[in-house]
Amino acid sequence: MSQKLENYLRTYRKRAGFTQDEVAFLLGSQSGAKVSRHERGGRIPGLETVLAYEMIFRTRARDLFAGPYGRVEQHILRRAKLLSTKLLAKKQDKAAERKLAALKAIHGRILKEFADHS
Amino acid sequence: MRRRSRKAERLLGVHPTSKGFGFVIFEGAQSLIDWGVVGVTGALNPESRRRVAVLLDRYTPSLIVVEDYFDKTSRRCARIQWLLKDIINLAALRNIRSQLVSRRAVRDLFVSEGNATKHQVAVAIAKRFPELAPRVPPPRKPWMSQDERMSIFDASALALVALNNNVDSLHTGG
Repeated sequence: MSQKLENYLRTYRKRAGFTQDEVAFLLGSQSGAKVSRHERGGRIPGLETVLAYEMIFRTRARDLFAGPYGRVEQHILRRAKLLSTKLLAKKQDKAAERKLAALKAIHGRILKEFADHS
Repeated sequence: MRRRSRKAERLLGVHPTSKGFGFVIFEGAQSLIDWGVVGVTGALNPESRRRVAVLLDRYTPSLIVVEDYFDKTSRRCARIQWLLKDIINLAALRNIRSQLVSRRAVRDLFVSEGNATKHQVAVAIAKRFPELAPRVPPPRKPWMSQDERMSIFDASALALVALNNNVDSLHTGG
C-alpha cells in the first residue's frame, strides 16, 4: 500500500468545486495563499482551522490530515503498550483492570482501523 | 511478469498535448486524488518535464502511466515521444516504476463497455468519477481542434487501464 499523503485538502476542495480563494473566504482569510500553504504542507493549520476544514468539506479531520493522523496513531499505540506493561508490573486492582481494558480497546481499535485501510 | 495488487497504489497518469499535458492521480481504482491540465509556454519539453517533476515530488506515486509510443497504434509526434521518454527517465531517477499503455489497450477496455469515441470515453469516466463531470468538453465537431480538457480523460483512461490490468509493466524504468 502507498503511504498516505500528508493531507487531502486539495482533493476534497477540488471535489467540492471550490477555489482556494473561496475556501480562504470561508475561513475568514484574506487570500488563498494560506490555503495553498496548508495544501502543500508548508504550514500546519491550527485546531480551529482544522475544525473549519472538517465542516467545509464534511469529512473527518483524520481523513483530511491522514499523514499526521497515522503518526499520532502509531505514537499512541506505542505508548499504550508501554503503559500496559507498566500497569501489569504493578499490583492488580479494580482500577488497574479498568485501565487495562481501556488500553486493550485502544489497541484493538487502532489495529482494526489499520486492517480496514490496508 | 510479476503480479502486484494495485488496490491502494498511488499512480500518476500523464498525457502530453501540444500545449502542455493533462494529468490524474489515483489512489487505487476508486479514489481520484488530483487532476488537471497544465499549460506550458516557451521550451515545451523542459517546462513540461519540470512540471511533471513537481507532481512526482508532491504525490510520490509508486507508478507513472503514459501512452505506449512504441505501439503501432500510437500517433504521437517526435517531440512528444522525447517528452514521454524524458518523463520515464525522470520517474526512474526517483525509483518510480513506469507503465506504457497502448491506445489499443484503452480502446479494448472502453469499447467493450460500449464507448466508441473519445467523448463517450470521457463521459463514461465522468460517470465513474463525478468530480470530473465539469471538465468534460462538448462533443468535438470535425472543424474543431481537440479541447485541452480532453487530456485529463486521456490520462484517466491510461491510468484506469493500468489499474484494471493489475499487471506490472514490461517497461520499468528508463
